Amino acid sequence: MIRRYPWLLMLRALTRMLWWLLRVAVFVAALVVAAPVVLVAAYAAALAWFLGWPPRQLYRAAVWCLPMLAAWLAAMAADGRPWPRLASAPYLAWLAMWHEAAAGGYLKAAVTVAPLAIPLGLVAGGLAWSWRIYSMETGSGGLAPSAPAAFDQRQWRHQVRTARGRIAAPGSVPLLLRDGSVVAGATIRAVRHPARPLAVMPYPRLRSHQVVLGTTGTGKTTLLLRLWAGFMSRGMELHAAGQRPRPLLVVLDCKGGADSRRIADRARRVLRGAGAASTAIWPDEASLSLWALPPPQLVSTLADMVESGTGGAAYYADVLEEIVRLAVEAPCGPPAGAADFLSRLDANWLALAYAGTPDGGSSGLLRSSARHISDVALRYRSLLRRLGGGLDGPGGFGDADAWYCILEGTSEIAVAEAQARALVDLLTWYAAGGAGDGMADGSPGSTGGRRDILLAVDEFSAVSRRLPIWQLYERARSLGLAVQVSAQSWPGLAADEDERYRVATTADGGIWLLRTPHPEPVAALAGSRRVVDTARRLLGVPLWVSKGWAHEGLSRAEGTPVVDPEIIRGLDVGQAAYIYRGGVTYVQVKRLVAGPAELASPVAGPAAGPTAGAAAGTPAGAGASTPAADPGAARPAGVSALLDEAFGEEP
Amino acid sequence: MSERDVAGLLFTAEMYGVQLDQLAVWLAVSEARARALAARWREQGYAESARLGPGRPWVWLTGAGLVACGLPYRPVPPALARLAHLRAVTAVRIALESAPGYTAAEAYWRSERRMRARMGSRVPLREHLPDGEVHWPDPGEAPGPDAGEGAEGRAAVAPAWAGECWAIEAELTRKTVRRTAAIMTEILTRTGDYGCPAAEVQVPGRPPRHARVLYLCSAAARPTVRRARDALPGGLAVRVEIRGLPAGAGLADGLTAAARPARDSQAAT
Repeated sequence: MIRRYPWLLMLRALTRMLWWLLRVAVFVAALVVAAPVVLVAAYAAALAWFLGWPPRQLYRAAVWCLPMLAAWLAAMAADGRPWPRLASAPYLAWLAMWHEAAAGGYLKAAVTVAPLAIPLGLVAGGLAWSWRIYSMETGSGGLAPSAPAAFDQRQWRHQVRTARGRIAAPGSVPLLLRDGSVVAGATIRAVRHPARPLAVMPYPRLRSHQVVLGTTGTGKTTLLLRLWAGFMSRGMELHAAGQRPRPLLVVLDCKGGADSRRIADRARRVLRGAGAASTAIWPDEASLSLWALPPPQLVSTLADMVESGTGGAAYYADVLEEIVRLAVEAPCGPPAGAADFLSRLDANWLALAYAGTPDGGSSGLLRSSARHISDVALRYRSLLRRLGGGLDGPGGFGDADAWYCILEGTSEIAVAEAQARALVDLLTWYAAGGAGDGMADGSPGSTGGRRDILLAVDEFSAVSRRLPIWQLYERARSLGLAVQVSAQSWPGLAADEDERYRVATTADGGIWLLRTPHPEPVAALAGSRRVVDTARRLLGVPLWVSKGWAHEGLSRAEGTPVVDPEIIRGLDVGQAAYIYRGGVTYVQVKRLVAGPAELASPVAGPAAGPTAGAAAGTPAGAGASTPAADPGAARPAGVSALLDEAFGEEP
Repeated sequence: MSERDVAGLLFTAEMYGVQLDQLAVWLAVSEARARALAARWREQGYAESARLGPGRPWVWLTGAGLVACGLPYRPVPPALARLAHLRAVTAVRIALESAPGYTAAEAYWRSERRMRARMGSRVPLREHLPDGEVHWPDPGEAPGPDAGEGAEGRAAVAPAWAGECWAIEAELTRKTVRRTAAIMTEILTRTGDYGCPAAEVQVPGRPPRHARVLYLCSAAARPTVRRARDALPGGLAVRVEIRGLPAGAGLADGLTAAARPARDSQAAT
């Protein structure tokens, strides 16, 4: 028995080897028999790997091949074959393919079997590619422990390359899709979002609150311009179809300086291409009238524009507000401008104004606060001088389709804060239906209650101290006003952590995250997803000792962040993560090419001064940016001089 | 190879081919010097020259010359049927570039050959390409931190039509009024660049690509062009400028260096 044992062992080993060889032979035979499908599947899987496609892309391609299959079957039916015999058509085609191949007609063989082999191969390639991704995501695939991480990084590079190629192809990334969705760019990768080639966003999401975070030089302005153009373009389409009011975009650029003016010029050109008839640049080319606010609102706004402090200074704030109220709600009517208002901050003027009123309370208030009136006048004289003429009118938000307001938040923080406060108050009043004397058709000049308004606050950190944007968030929905806040970092979003979370969590239109050094708080808002993590036993060095991962291990489901902060920190210029409803889409943003500068107009431009357009009742910038119905009317005289010089006078 | 050689080669390539007298004027050198330059280019394999028609010999770039210039054009000699037109367009370019306002604004001539190359084989049969485009740089670009004094200077001299794009048409022969008006309308209502997707060629609501079109006409073509302009709607008609062809635009006309101011600085660029 003992002598027979080695023979038994050998017999068992031999049997196992034969079984293994049989399996291999059957597998190879199956591959050879299904060679056309295998070739297509291998090509499809390799292509998907190289381009970083999701398996869905291959399945979609297979579906698109079905008409070819149907046409093939229809051609055979038309050839006189009865329908029942069509069931054997795939087998006959396969047989014919081998016959053709055996006769050396490889091209004919390929054509014969292609209608069948291509869709099947694509499905098989998709399944194989799907299994590969799954095994890598769960950690059960790969030869080395680092394989899943290397696979993910390599796929990211491939996906980025594909997305860049897509946005570089002319016409492949339109601003709007046929269904009206706004296209931000090409999708790099999607997690818990539909994996589409283009990163699209339904228009209603642009009508909701959004947050954009990204440091300088990451492509934030490019992204914002695209979102604004999408809002304007789709809004104009809906307005033209009579489905929505005319859109209005108001941008508060709280950075200021030459850079902001360059962006304003670019925004004007982009928006003009998107259908905005006019873009006003405040305060350089257009003005607004703070004094158009109703008196109670005007009192509140003027009081909030002055920094009063807290504690003991609160008493002074109350006095200041009462004096302003007396000046604004004087019996002769509210002030018409800054000069009128300042002239009222005088004890004698106020005494005369209220002399004939039977209200004894006002007179008593005047007597008690008389000694503070000159101080209050001094503060407002200083403030209004620093604010400039931009808020002294005339003009209103209804005068243009887009307003680009430049606030000098870098050099004059206090002024920018006051301006932001005034502009937001003016806009909310306008959105609530103020300026009721306007037209009701939604055209520029119409009332705010009939406009779809998007307020974009860029570099919000410069004014966040005095502009409680989250309060506006909560009111905005009922006013038809969407708010888009952008900042360079999470701390720049608001003054304290509570307010930051309040702003971020109420952004129901989604959060755009560009490269930023501290993305964790925002990334955490996207939540986590359950993934299977597999731990396997390592048996020596892979490949070299014919041992690697063992087939023994442990799998467990655990939560992993939907948004990987490491990816955010490594985003390149022009790449963004769009976080929405617990999912994320990484986007390669397509830059919008601005059209040429508007036709020059003799009365337009900064040289005409801020009141040039106002004199005509419209912002100067609006006239400058309107595509002229008769551009020749705006022909600069110098053209003739130049042409006369070069070619002589017109014969 | 000097800067003048590079400028001359690029100019010749952009215009399909030029006659020696025009090359001499453009480079602000004597005709003998231009002839010597052309001979050197021919020795180097960059250019060919021949007497193709009346007037001075023509110079055009070979495949090697175009490759050296980095231009993706087809190396062919100027077509005999187009010699008169090519000369007229070159004369227009020279005349326009000699205007001080052009140089001061740093305007840019975009040749028909460049546009055609951009379109590749996608030129629709009925689509009309202008003989050139003049781009007036936009002064709206604020000078960057490293822009230096030049940028400030440019902003100061920017003309009122800065940022515009003009289409240039040289008309030697008479077409029908209808055809000419159709071409004018096509140019003035076009919104997309040449080579753009078909859907963007004319998009309602978008600003037109060309703020104006400049017609340089021979005496024979002038009445037709004028009548075509009058046939346009008012909004378009006022954007059509008509002038006569400059001196030396005819195929047999000679052109002397005195016909235009010296432009050494331009040649250097």
